[in-house]
Amino acid sequence: MKADLNTLLKPKAVAIIGASRNPDKVGNVILKNYIDGGYGGRLYPVNPNADSVLGLKAYRSVLDVPETVDVAVIAVPAQIVPGVLEECGQAKVRSLVVVSGGFAEVGETELQDRIVKIARKYGMPMIGPNCLGVMDTRSRTDTLFLPTYKITRPQVGFVSFISQSGAVGSTVLDVIAGEGFGLSKFISYGNAADLDEVDLLQYLMDDEETKVIVMYIEGIKRGKEFVELARKITRKKPVIVLKAGRTSAGSSAAHSHTAALAGDYAVQEAMFRQFGFTVANDLSELIYFSKIFASETEPRGNRIAVVTNGGGAGVLTADAIASSKRLRMAELSAKTSRALRGRMPKLVNIRMPLDLAGDADEKRYGDAITAISGDPNTDMLVIIVLYQTPGADSTVSAAIVHLKEVVDKPIVVMSTGVGYTQAQKVQLESGGVPVYDSPAALVSSLEALLEHAEYLETHK
Amino acid sequence: MALMDYMRAKAILDKYKIRSVPSRYVSSAEQAVSFAGRDSIALKLLSDKVLHKSRAGLVKLNLSGAGEIGRAFGELKRKGRGIRQYRIIAQKMAKPGVEAIIGGNTDPQFGKVLLLGLGGVYVEAFGDTQLRLCPITKYDAGQMIDGLRSKDILTGNGKSRDMLVELLMQASRLLTNNPRIKELDLNPVILRDGSYDAVDIRVLV
Repeated sequence: MKADLNTLLKPKAVAIIGASRNPDKVGNVILKNYIDGGYGGRLYPVNPNADSVLGLKAYRSVLDVPETVDVAVIAVPAQIVPGVLEECGQAKVRSLVVVSGGFAEVGETELQDRIVKIARKYGMPMIGPNCLGVMDTRSRTDTLFLPTYKITRPQVGFVSFISQSGAVGSTVLDVIAGEGFGLSKFISYGNAADLDEVDLLQYLMDDEETKVIVMYIEGIKRGKEFVELARKITRKKPVIVLKAGRTSAGSSAAHSHTAALAGDYAVQEAMFRQFGFTVANDLSELIYFSKIFASETEPRGNRIAVVTNGGGAGVLTADAIASSKRLRMAELSAKTSRALRGRMPKLVNIRMPLDLAGDADEKRYGDAITAISGDPNTDMLVIIVLYQTPGADSTVSAAIVHLKEVVDKPIVVMSTGVGYTQAQKVQLESGGVPVYDSPAALVSSLEALLEHAEYLETHK
Repeated sequence: MALMDYMRAKAILDKYKIRSVPSRYVSSAEQAVSFAGRDSIALKLLSDKVLHKSRAGLVKLNLSGAGEIGRAFGELKRKGRGIRQYRIIAQKMAKPGVEAIIGGNTDPQFGKVLLLGLGGVYVEAFGDTQLRLCPITKYDAGQMIDGLRSKDILTGNGKSRDMLVELLMQASRLLTNNPRIKELDLNPVILRDGSYDAVDIRVLV
């Protein structure tokens, strides 16, 4: 089945079933988020005990709604979900998001099987149950029952994120909202009773608003179909995966050494690597890798030039690069060295890492980056900006964003700090320049970028 | 699952041009001595009840001469009394080298999986292994080798690396073409400068 997720993600009309008047109830929060989020389509609260909810006319049943809705968001107790889905089917609802919990995750597999049967009988693709549902920053559909004052929604971007877990999903969303690279779509698919990761990835593979796919996954439901898709998907766009279950031990009753060493997690991780997925070890790496791929640059090699306005930070970064198996420090050509000597003040030593000194401003940064990016001995540029110094301000950020546009090599920034630095980070990332706060994060991200480029190179 | 007879498993490896040390079952010390000729041999007690043969003292290595072989054979016989079904196999000693493990398993979701790692007693100590789904490509084989921390130990030079790539490809073909084979352990495979011998074979069907 290839589900048409466009109906789910770009709905023109949405019914919210279980839209309570009580602001503490899930259905109320969902409706409020639609209203506050600036959703431009038509909204139909369904509530048999109210005439209006949050100022909108309420309907007793989805059957009373005056038009055929694209999505029904279901936020009612599990026991009455089957009846509600029957009504949705009769009302010719086009797709479903079942937020309600109380199904297979608590052992109610029969109840879950029943709702899948109803959804399929009426041809309504279903997300859930037991999930946060879907969010699309462009259509502004947002079924998440998380109040917007507690979790800011990310800005519009090209990274799409699917998560089996709602809790991990919302945490990552919260973090992404504080980064500058933005989000395209978020899908929390819970028990995956109908639509599962294969359906979602298939859709995102061809989605023009998605350039990077990020997934948090606990288990894969359809191994064969997943592998078939895995062979194709990473050649079209990078896929970053965080897989839970690392510690589940291999079967102790194994008959051979190999069986003991090839547990579920090990096999799945191997499969991800074999087919060119980028495997993140934790939530931080998931964010780090997202931003490097979101910057849409392709490295042609592994030689890194480092420019800094702080000597110590330059040395720490050079150490991290030198310790990497994949990366190495660039050596400037004689021509670049001469050009830099002509443009840099005397106190700047022309060598790698290039320390521009504590008073470096946007002009010095600009001159250095321009000279080094043209050097054939350099493949990627790491720009360290310590915004705590007097010369480094938003004009430096603007210069870097501008140079990112004209330079044909990956440029990343390393900058550590809060407050002022955080604001600069968002400015840089909105301009497509990834910002890291530690040499380790930077190095693992550049390695991931390089590894993916090598995979593509060898799988043409 | 059942352990496939050693000599049958060896015949399958032969078919896939995966080299293993010359072996035969022996039912007496005399047979073992005549199989050895002038070479040194190993004697092993094989039983599907036992996975860790060397830990259980069921492997006797570097035996030569009628006296040494006879004593080892007698000792294995005595140990065999506690194990109902077993056979004793005599094998020519492989030339020394680095021990690798090459293995196969059947994942319920993804099917046949190939494993490479630093072998012998190091398998469990270091857990330095790489897995891939079968069938693998030449690229995958290279990535498996490069993914090991012990890659420089296993492949000293380009010749050894090419040989190991080819061996992995053959093992992947064997696993892919034989759905009956659920698990495979070649542990150890002794690698040395451009050559190798699989010394122990376990095939589960």
